[in-house]
Amino acid sequence: MSDKDTASINRNRAVDVALLAYIVLSYAFVFAPIAASFVFSFNSDRFPSIPLGQFSLEWYRAVASDPLVWQGLRNTLFVGVIVGVVATALGFGAAYTDFRYRFFGKQVYLALALLPPTIPVVILGLAMLAYLSRINLSGNALSVIIAHVVICAPFAMAIIRLRLSQMDPDLEAAAWNLGASEWAAMRHVIIPFAKPAIFGALFITMAVSFDEFAIAWFVSGLNETLPVKVLGFLQGQVSPRINAIGTFVFVTSMTLVILAQILLTGRGAKARPGADEQE
Amino acid sequence: MKNDTLVSFEGVVKRFGEFVAVQRMDFEIGKGEFLAIMGSSGCGKTTTLRMLAGLEAPSEGVIRLSGKPINDLPTWSRDTPMVWQSLALFPFLNVIENVEFALKMRGVGKAERRRKAEQWLDRMQITEFASRNISQLSGGQRQRVALARSLVVEPEILLLDEPLSALDAALKVRMQSVLKNLQRETGITFVYVTHSQSEAFSMADRVVIMSRGKIEQIGTPKEIYRTPRTRFVAGFLGSSNMFTGKVSGSDGGVVTLDTPAGALRLSAAGMPQPVAAGQTATLTVLDTKTDLAVTPPSGRVNTLPVRMIGEEFIGATATIYLETADGQEIRIQKSHEDLANLPLQIGQELVAHWSYEDGHLVMEE
Amino acid sequence: MRRSLTLYGLTFSLPLLIWQLLFFVFPLVFLVALSFWTVKNFRMQPDIDAVNWVTMYGRPLFWQAYGITFAMSAAAAALVSALAFPCSYAIAFKLSETGRRWAVFLMVIPFFTSYLVRVYSWQIFLSDAGIINVMLGWVGLGPYGLLNTVGATMIGYLTLTFPLVVLLQLFSLAFIDRTLIEAAHNLRCGRLRTVFAVIIPSARVGLVIAALFAFILSFGDFVSPIYLGGGDPTTLSILITDTTKSGQQWPRAAVIALTMIGTLMAVAFAAVRFAYKGRTK
Repeated sequence: MSDKDTASINRNRAVDVALLAYIVLSYAFVFAPIAASFVFSFNSDRFPSIPLGQFSLEWYRAVASDPLVWQGLRNTLFVGVIVGVVATALGFGAAYTDFRYRFFGKQVYLALALLPPTIPVVILGLAMLAYLSRINLSGNALSVIIAHVVICAPFAMAIIRLRLSQMDPDLEAAAWNLGASEWAAMRHVIIPFAKPAIFGALFITMAVSFDEFAIAWFVSGLNETLPVKVLGFLQGQVSPRINAIGTFVFVTSMTLVILAQILLTGRGAKARPGADEQE
Repeated sequence: MKNDTLVSFEGVVKRFGEFVAVQRMDFEIGKGEFLAIMGSSGCGKTTTLRMLAGLEAPSEGVIRLSGKPINDLPTWSRDTPMVWQSLALFPFLNVIENVEFALKMRGVGKAERRRKAEQWLDRMQITEFASRNISQLSGGQRQRVALARSLVVEPEILLLDEPLSALDAALKVRMQSVLKNLQRETGITFVYVTHSQSEAFSMADRVVIMSRGKIEQIGTPKEIYRTPRTRFVAGFLGSSNMFTGKVSGSDGGVVTLDTPAGALRLSAAGMPQPVAAGQTATLTVLDTKTDLAVTPPSGRVNTLPVRMIGEEFIGATATIYLETADGQEIRIQKSHEDLANLPLQIGQELVAHWSYEDGHLVMEE
Repeated sequence: MRRSLTLYGLTFSLPLLIWQLLFFVFPLVFLVALSFWTVKNFRMQPDIDAVNWVTMYGRPLFWQAYGITFAMSAAAAALVSALAFPCSYAIAFKLSETGRRWAVFLMVIPFFTSYLVRVYSWQIFLSDAGIINVMLGWVGLGPYGLLNTVGATMIGYLTLTFPLVVLLQLFSLAFIDRTLIEAAHNLRCGRLRTVFAVIIPSARVGLVIAALFAFILSFGDFVSPIYLGGGDPTTLSILITDTTKSGQQWPRAAVIALTMIGTLMAVAFAAVRFAYKGRTK
C-alpha cells in the first residue's frame, strides 16, 4: 500500500519535471533567434558563428554612419507616430461603436474592423500596391501610412474594447443623467476611463508599425513601396548590420510595449484593491 | 398629497420588440412623496424608472413632470438625477470631483461648485473623504457619495434604483433611516425601486406593486398589507394564508366561500363591491392573525383542522407550518408566549382559527 | 437610449468603416478586377478576360506549388499544435500563478521583435559554418546542409507560429473547469487518459482555432520559404513575387492571391465547423 503511494508520487514528480524541462526547451527555441541576433550584433565576424569573434560595435557604427539608415529612422518614426495616432483614433471609434450601439450589420462591421491582420501580408501588399498605384497614392510615405493603419487599427480596437468592457455600463448613462450631453459624457467619462488603453493602443500600434516594416525601411531606403522593399531586402545582400538594426528595433519596441503595459495594468491594478471597510 | 402632482404617467406603454415591458400604466407621484415601486425582477419597475429618467423612451403615452410632457426631452436636459444600483460612481474622479460633476455639466463656476459640493459632503458626513479615490471607500461611504452627487443640483425629484442591494443587512437598515430622514428634511420627491418588501414598506409613503409590466396595486404600506387587492399581491407579500374557492352565499353581512379546505366565512363590512354567489374569490388572512388551539373555539370564527408539519424560530417569533385536511400548507406567526400552552410536536392534530373580521376577500380578475 | 445611429454615433463608427472599405475591401475587390486584366507589351490594360485564370490554372507548376504550400502549411499546423500543446499544458497546470503570468509575458515578446530578424538569425544557427554544424563538428559529425531545406522552412514556420499557438492554447486551457479534471481522476481516469479524454475535448475549440491560425500564417508566409528554404520548393507566396517581377504579370499574381484567399476562407470555414461540431448538444 505505502509502496504503491510512493511509486505514484514519484511518477508524478518525474512527469512534472519533464514538463517543466519542456517549457524551458520551448522558450529556448523561441528566444534562440532573438538572443543570437542580440549577441552577434556585438560580434566582429562578417559571417557570424561560434566561436565568437571579438566584441565590436562595428555593425552599429556601420548602421549609424549610413545616411540612408538615418533617413529611414526618421521616416519610420514619422510614419509610426502618425500611424499610431490615426489607428488609435479609428480603433477607439470602432471600439466605442461596438460598446454602445446595436445595429443591423454589426457583425459585418466588426469583421471589417478585425479581419485585416489575418490576411497574409503578401496578398495584402499585392492588393494594396496595385490599388494604391491605380488611385495614384503609391510610392510615398502616405501609402505606407495607409497600409499600416489598415493593419494596426484592429489592434487598437481590441485593446480599447477590452478596457471599455471593464467599464460599468451605467457610467455613461449616469453622466447623461447628471446633465452631461453625449459629447460631454464622451469627454468627461468615456475618454478619461479609457485613457490608459488609449495610450496603450497608441504605443502598441506604434511598435507594430515600427518593427514590422522598420527593417525594410532601414535596408532599402525610402524610394520603393513597402512590399517591394521587403522583397528587395530579402533577395539583396544582407550583412550582420541587420542584427544591429534588429536589436535596436527590439529595444525600442519593447520600451514602447512595456510603457503600454505599465499604463494598461498599473492604473487598473491601483483601482482594484478592496476598500478598507470603515462603516 | 395627490392635488400637488409632480409626475404623472398617462397611458404609458414600453415595448422592446415583441416584449411588453410595461403595460398601459396610469399613476401619479405627488410632490414631496416617498414612493416605492416594488416587484420581482423583470416586472418592469426599473424600466418605469428609466423612462422617468429619460434613459428609455415610452412606446406609447405621456410622462409629465410638473405638468409638462417630457417624452422628447433627452436625459441630460431633465433634472431627474438617479442613484444607480451599481452606484455608477466615476472611478477616475475623487469623491469631491464626483459630487461636483453635475454642477460642472451645468456650467457652474469652480468656486461655487466646490462650495456646494462641500456642503453636501458635510451633510452626508463624508467631508473627510473628499480627496479619496472611490476605490478607497467602503460600501456605505460610496452610497453617501452617490446620494450627494445626485442631490447637489437640488432637484425636485430623486430616482433610486435598488441602491441598497449591495450592502449587508445591518448597513442596509442604517442607510434606510438615512434615506428616510434625508427625504423628510429636504422634501424632495423620492422614487425608490426595490424588490425588497422591508425596504419599501419601512420607508415609503406609498408603494406601487408591479408584476409582469402591470401595476397590481398602489397604496400606503398599511393598506396593501391589510387589504391586498389581488391574489398576486397577497402571494407576493407572503404574509397571508390564502384559500381560493367560490362564493356560495352572502347573508347578514357574512360572506361564505366554498374552498377545498371547507366552507369559510368572513365579514362583508368594508368590502369595496358587493359579491355575487358563484364568483371565484380568494380569502386571505394574515399569518399573524391566524391562531392555533387544541379544541375549536366558538363564535364568529373560522376553524380548520390541521396537522403540524414543521416549525421555525427567528428571534422572538415562531413560525408554525401546518397542513389542512386537503393537503394545503398554511402557517401562523406568533410570539413564543402565545404558543406556550400548545402541544407543539410534528404530526400533532390542532385547530387553526381566525375571526370573520380578520378575513379579506380578493376577487379573481 | 439605444436609438439608431445619430450624428454623434456616426462620428465614431464611420471613420474606421470608411478607412477599411477604402483601403482594405476595395484593394481586395480591385484584386478581383485585376485578375481579369490583360498584359500587352509589358503594360497592364483594364479588360474582362479570363485568360489569366486559364493560364495559371493550366500550369502544372502552379498546382505543384499549390499542393506543396498546402501540404507544408498543414504539416506546420499539425506539428506546431503537437509541439506547443505540452508546453501550454505545462504552463496552464504546472506553474504557479506568478509563473504563468511570466510565461505569458515572455511569449508575447516575440510579437515585438521583427520576424525577419528572427529568421535571419536562424541562418546563424543553420548555415554550413553555423552554430549547429560547428557544435556537431566538435563530436566529429557533419557538416550537414541544414539551410535551404524543407526542414529549415519548417523551423521558420515554427518561429512564426509557435508563440501565438501557445498563447491561444493556453487561453482555452485556462477556461477548463478544474473540477472536471478532478472528477475524471476521481473516476479512475489516469493522467494521460485524462488529457485525451477530458482536457483535449474541453479545449477543442481553442486548439482548432490555434491550428487554424498556424495554417493561415504559414500558408501566406514568404519569408521562411525564401530565406530558410532557399526558394525551393516554390510556394505560392514565392510564385506571387516571381510573377509580379516577370513582365508585369500582376493579373496572374492576382489569380494566385485570390486562389489563396479562397483556400484560406474554405479552410477557416471547415475548421470552425469542426471546432464547434456537436457543441450544441
